[in-house]
Amino acid sequence: MSETNEAILVMEDIDKSFPGVHALDHVHFDVRCGEVHALMGENGAGKSTLMKVLTGIYSKDSGKITFEGREIEFHNTREAQDAGIVIVHQELNMVGDLTVAQNIFIGREFMKGFRIDDKKMIEESNKLFDELKIQIDPKAKMSDLTVGKQQMCEIAKAISHQAKVIVFDEPSAALTEKEIEDLFTIIRDLRDKGMAIVYISHRMDEIKVITDRVTVMRDGGYVGTLITNDCTKEDIINMMVGRVIYEDPKTESHVPADAPVVLKVEHLNAGRMVQDVSFELRKGEILGFSGLMGAGRTETARALFGADPKTSGDIYVNGQKVTINSPQDAVKYGIGYLSEDRKRYGIVVQKSIIENSTLATLEKYMKGAFIDKAEEEKITQKYIDELSTKTPSADTLVVNLSGGNQQKVVIAKWLVRNCDILIFDEPTRGIDVGAKNEIYKLMNRLAEEGKSIIMISSEMTEILRMSDRIVVMCEGKKTGELDIAEATQEKIMDKATRDIA
Amino acid sequence: MRLSKFKQNPFVKKVGFNRIILFCVMILMYVAFCLLVPGFFGKARILSVMNYVYFLGFLSLGVTFVIATGGIDFSIGPVMFCCALISGYTMVFKGAPVIVSIIMSIIIGFIFGSLNGYLVSYWTIPPFIVSMASMNIAKGVAAVYTKTQSVSWPLSTDPDNGWFRNLVSYNGFPVGLVIFLVAAAICMIVLNNTKPGRYILCLGSNEEAVRLSGVDTKKWKMLAYVICGTLVGIAAIFFVGAYTTVQPGYGDQYNNEAIAGCVMGGTSMVGGLASIGGTVIGVLIISLLQEGILALGFAKDIQLIVTGLIVIVVVYADVMARRRKN
Repeated sequence: MSETNEAILVMEDIDKSFPGVHALDHVHFDVRCGEVHALMGENGAGKSTLMKVLTGIYSKDSGKITFEGREIEFHNTREAQDAGIVIVHQELNMVGDLTVAQNIFIGREFMKGFRIDDKKMIEESNKLFDELKIQIDPKAKMSDLTVGKQQMCEIAKAISHQAKVIVFDEPSAALTEKEIEDLFTIIRDLRDKGMAIVYISHRMDEIKVITDRVTVMRDGGYVGTLITNDCTKEDIINMMVGRVIYEDPKTESHVPADAPVVLKVEHLNAGRMVQDVSFELRKGEILGFSGLMGAGRTETARALFGADPKTSGDIYVNGQKVTINSPQDAVKYGIGYLSEDRKRYGIVVQKSIIENSTLATLEKYMKGAFIDKAEEEKITQKYIDELSTKTPSADTLVVNLSGGNQQKVVIAKWLVRNCDILIFDEPTRGIDVGAKNEIYKLMNRLAEEGKSIIMISSEMTEILRMSDRIVVMCEGKKTGELDIAEATQEKIMDKATRDIA
Repeated sequence: MRLSKFKQNPFVKKVGFNRIILFCVMILMYVAFCLLVPGFFGKARILSVMNYVYFLGFLSLGVTFVIATGGIDFSIGPVMFCCALISGYTMVFKGAPVIVSIIMSIIIGFIFGSLNGYLVSYWTIPPFIVSMASMNIAKGVAAVYTKTQSVSWPLSTDPDNGWFRNLVSYNGFPVGLVIFLVAAAICMIVLNNTKPGRYILCLGSNEEAVRLSGVDTKKWKMLAYVICGTLVGIAAIFFVGAYTTVQPGYGDQYNNEAIAGCVMGGTSMVGGLASIGGTVIGVLIISLLQEGILALGFAKDIQLIVTGLIVIVVVYADVMARRRKN
């Protein structure tokens, strides 16, 4: 990487607002040929939004994007692709039932008359893989590949578009250490060939290893750009976190030794993603579930909650064996599930806070055949006050609330129901930094009040900060259990990657 | 701005700005027809429009529940004919008293509604396909049962069975309108103030979130179709009460009209949002339009073209409104 290189892509003064949120506040970003430029920031800092503006998924309100010296504005990802800017997404956009080659050339298949020329696509795929020095069979079905291999295919696809700028959006989230090393080899190789690479991540160690420069964003604003070699980890962390102080990390379990077991799961099986999982949850405990993306944690929670069918396994609530075949059953036994994807699985966004709060408990708010709306509003208001949900009124539509406040509405729904076991799946995903701390405080308070919490989280800091005990999963199996007193990032990572070759 | 102030007015907020606009459109349409067609003004025309309102109103009320779940029912028109044909045939050719036929009609509607609802909810077949299939089944069953004859319900002069026409009009008083408005009021209460209504609207907006809240979404979704079917069975009585004769193999045209009335009133095609008041005004507009088009001297086929276009326009308006919101 030479410092003298001209920037191939410059984004200046980019501004973007959504109703109620100033998502990007005059952000600067540029990337040069032959460099790896990290884009860092907490969840909700605006990294992804910025990249979506770049590739035309969102249109910017103001600002200027210059690419190869010309001002540009893409209207969709296709236009960006054609110009040579490609994103490798965190969630892979692959069609599982097609072959590797078919996926790489999807939308621009080689034709032989009216027929698709599969042979040529396989040849071309092999050429790409050779160039990347990786070994994948182009004839293999995409869904049979590991997440890491699938990602390699995404990269191959990006290169086949004659990309000049490749954006990696948290590429390592689902990868094993070995796979990450392979990925880095490829990235270095691409860089040396003169490509400009944007690397989005919040794993500090990787940033030091792979990138040349770092740009930090916070709360939609541009904080600064540093040369990686000239700065320390702490510099970057300070820029990312700013003034926000989190709840103190736990050093030891807050659960008394004689706390009763409220939930016991034995030999739970559900498809490929949940294999023979057993664990116990005690009263007042926060049980962290750690692991890589795709480790089967969400699947375990959903199977336990009855959201997905399970093949076998026993569940005991307060010592009693129970049968949970549907969410109705789970709710009956006082289990509440807060999904990682609130908008799809947690709330009804087009309905009011009141309607969402009593959704799981409506039968308690009936006067004969009619809904007792006054009572409904009273209980909703009670939890708005108790959780300090920021809203103009109880009948505001949930769609108009911020992520943190939407999460509070989901929490309220289960508290109204008086659930004693709460499963928080990625409780702070997509929630801005300030609100995050509030959610942490709230979870701690609930635990102190005697609720038992299962917390699934992909953020190591969150796991170490909140949990009393930690269950680690890998490829659908439980690979370890650690008390918070003995848990370290290294120990958890070791268990989280144990079964992966 | 004065308009936004008007929108904030408590009365306007409660009734809904769009419904007020819609109501004004209806009045303007009526005035326009009165000016264009000599003799349109007057009680006779209004009663004629009302004849259309009764049966279409029940169809539209019914389909409002289904659309609120995010579903659709294209079988309502033919099922209404099926109800009228089978129960009418039983009366006219097999000597059943009219009260039996009325109950029969409602039960047939209920059965079709249950069938549609069951297949949509429990077998998760897309509502579009289910209702297309049951439309054909309804037509077929009616034709087989009546041996493809048309059926005429008794006239008011019929000493035994003619009394049922009093349900539509009694000595010139529109009894049907009263029954329809009462039914609409009940529907409004069910939708806004009872558990089924709340669940139907919520699951129409986000079924998975409602299911994960521990609600039996399949049951409540099926219920919407059952309500719809039952109201269709009632619609059949008002259809023959006004137009006497039904012929096997028809009824499709009313699907469009009922859906147009419902969506025009502010019920969203993607589900989750429904307005019974809006549906009532929507039905009035559609009915007025049918009468007006004929009165202007156009052929009956023009009605089909106009309602077809209306469906496209109102659904497009719904799509645009949602896009703006997002």
